[in-house]
Amino acid sequence: MSRRVALVIGAGSVKCAAALGLLKVLEREGIGIDMVVGCSGGSLYATFIGLGVDVASAEEMTRRLWTRELTKRRHYPSLLRAMLPQLFPFQESFGLVDDRLILQRLETAFGKHNFEDARIPLYLTATDFHTGEQKVFSSGRLVDAIRASIAIPYVFRPWKVDGHLYVDGFLTDPMPVGVAIKNGADVIVTLGFESPYQHRTTSVLRFAFQLSSIMSNNLLRANYAFHNLAHHTEILPIIPQFRESIHLFDTDKIPYVIEEGERAAEQQLPYLRRLLATTEI
Amino acid sequence: MEVRVEKRGSVAIVSIDGSVDGTSAPDLVSSLRQQVTAGTVQLVADFAGTDYTSSAGLRALLEMVKETRQHGGDLRLASVRREVLRVLELSGFTSILQVYPDVDSAVASFPA
Repeated sequence: MSRRVALVIGAGSVKCAAALGLLKVLEREGIGIDMVVGCSGGSLYATFIGLGVDVASAEEMTRRLWTRELTKRRHYPSLLRAMLPQLFPFQESFGLVDDRLILQRLETAFGKHNFEDARIPLYLTATDFHTGEQKVFSSGRLVDAIRASIAIPYVFRPWKVDGHLYVDGFLTDPMPVGVAIKNGADVIVTLGFESPYQHRTTSVLRFAFQLSSIMSNNLLRANYAFHNLAHHTEILPIIPQFRESIHLFDTDKIPYVIEEGERAAEQQLPYLRRLLATTEI
Repeated sequence: MEVRVEKRGSVAIVSIDGSVDGTSAPDLVSSLRQQVTAGTVQLVADFAGTDYTSSAGLRALLEMVKETRQHGGDLRLASVRREVLRVLELSGFTSILQVYPDVDSAVASFPA
């Protein structure tokens, strides 16, 4: 019985493009993926891979989709509700950035597709705002699932799907290995990143980001440790080493990010080959 | 994976070359357990030649850390390469395992 291989792409904004480098190596070696799981920034690349978009097209689509303009326009109703709650009652659908542009771009890229169109079973994660539980999307509109999965706290407003309000998937698990375990993966290849810390805390937003990074990085380690010990076979972390710092909208660095993903995957390739060659589970 | 054992006083230094993974972890556990069974419970795993550890490797390390500590000893790591250290950090293992920059300091950390 052949081993079921899962690819799990965790949170990490543009760094998640390293998944395309990893995919290049797997394709070149003829190593098939049986399922793909994505969270936050990783949900975009999981979707590309799930839909069978080739590496060059995925790179080009990222450049068109993920640019600095996305955060240029403020969401003034949210600002007013935060600053003057007695005049403008606060609403839980809070986010400082006007999300119309990101939504428009997601519609252009994925609007025609549902999960059912994926060539490889695809799972995208978000977090239920009211219960704090992980939500795993595996059917319905891809745009809704991606928009929910990338609802970065304070930046993009939570997203409503079927009457439930969702925030970014990293809030429950920045690298959702558990989804792959639950869906029967034997070998799990992971690609995920810790959230960067602020060099200088010069604004309320940076202060909030710093707290968010501290919490999510500790959550990542705790969950990853648990899954490593709980899973019966293998979890292979692919950890690209970036010599250059990669920021949220550094899409011009995508070729470099892909290259580092490819390099990191090649380092683990001998072991992955050996593992897949053994038939016993 | 290749395992070599050297005794230094009451401490056994177990040098591991290659990957600690699903295919090699049972051999590592077996080598370390031989020492514990023979009464040596102060162990240093020299990771200078270890280029990779997977989840199976982590489980093997945890198993032997628990076993040595149950017998009043410990399993401590030395000379861990940067890429392996990243995996140990990411999985929270650096909070439960003692990691030393070299074998000498790991050996010296045990009471004489």
